[in-house]
Amino acid sequence: MSELAAYVSLGFRHITDLEAMDHILFLLALAAIYRPRDWRDSLWVVTAFTVGHSLTLALTVTGALVLPTRVIEFLIPITIVATCVENLVVRDRERALWGGRYRPVFAGVFGLVHGAGFANYLRSLFVDEIALPLFGFNVGIELGQLVVLALAAGVLAVVDRAFALATVRPGGAVLRLRVIAVSGFVALIAARWAMERSPF
Amino acid sequence: MGAIVPLFMALAVHPLHTTLTQLAYRDADRSVEVTVRVFADDFRAVLARDVSDSAAAAYLRSAFTLTDRAGRPLAVVWCGMKRTGDLLWLCLRATAPGGLSGLRVRVALLFDRYEDQINIVQAILEGQRVALLFTRGDASKPLTRPGGAVRTPLLF
Repeated sequence: MSELAAYVSLGFRHITDLEAMDHILFLLALAAIYRPRDWRDSLWVVTAFTVGHSLTLALTVTGALVLPTRVIEFLIPITIVATCVENLVVRDRERALWGGRYRPVFAGVFGLVHGAGFANYLRSLFVDEIALPLFGFNVGIELGQLVVLALAAGVLAVVDRAFALATVRPGGAVLRLRVIAVSGFVALIAARWAMERSPF
Repeated sequence: MGAIVPLFMALAVHPLHTTLTQLAYRDADRSVEVTVRVFADDFRAVLARDVSDSAAAAYLRSAFTLTDRAGRPLAVVWCGMKRTGDLLWLCLRATAPGGLSGLRVRVALLFDRYEDQINIVQAILEGQRVALLFTRGDASKPLTRPGGAVRTPLLF
């Protein structure tokens, strides 16, 4: 195996690990508002998230930015809660700010926070040769996110089906029920994490 | 919901669990120098806080194996450890007259501690850098160049 392939594999395994629930739930919260026909929008949002965390990872790992781990570990669940709150509060996205097209921006900003989560670790381990591990790890994270997103679409389709069977409401109402259920569930877990990790 | 939420809580903490092992061949005495980078807190946890030279050497010998082309284990000698920041650098040395290529290696560090542990091995074979990844349950793997005679494992 080439070195690059090894680091791609490391990033892929990290993001798809069932223990990576903070990253997985964040992606689920981001995807919770989209229908199958909105797949391009969800891809934009996830790509913006990747750009954000790649930027921080590069800045932190190269030593250009130093962020305290305790604060980052607290901010990660906060970004998840904020995403869920946005899902719940914004009901009509066409009338929202910029026609609802601001989501990639906040996904990118939140990506900045998530990238810092493992940056210190990588910098410590690959102290003398960081460029290749950093690049490969990021490529692996991106590939892993696409897999998680595909699985999230499957989970959301199941939730939709369950609500459609349980109610006689039209499609739009089923989507709203799904957004409430998924966002509420994820927000509850992330809020508990935030309380446990609070540095204050 | 009452049962699911605590389950997710338990999965919340998710640091990377990784070690880096580098194999360098020394032509002068035809030996392999093995340098293992491991986070001190992880290593302390697996050694039950006894991070003495003897405890570290004993654990490393049990978790790291190097075998020749015939499958015979190479004798490894402990050559010390140092600490920089959060990281421990552990050293082993083995005589390998035939060079690195074709040797089989296995790094099972911390598999008894973390289910998601991934151990990375780096080496330079005939001027080309190669890497291996080890996860729990992996057997030994051959050191070969990508596209070499022995088939390399699939990426994922």
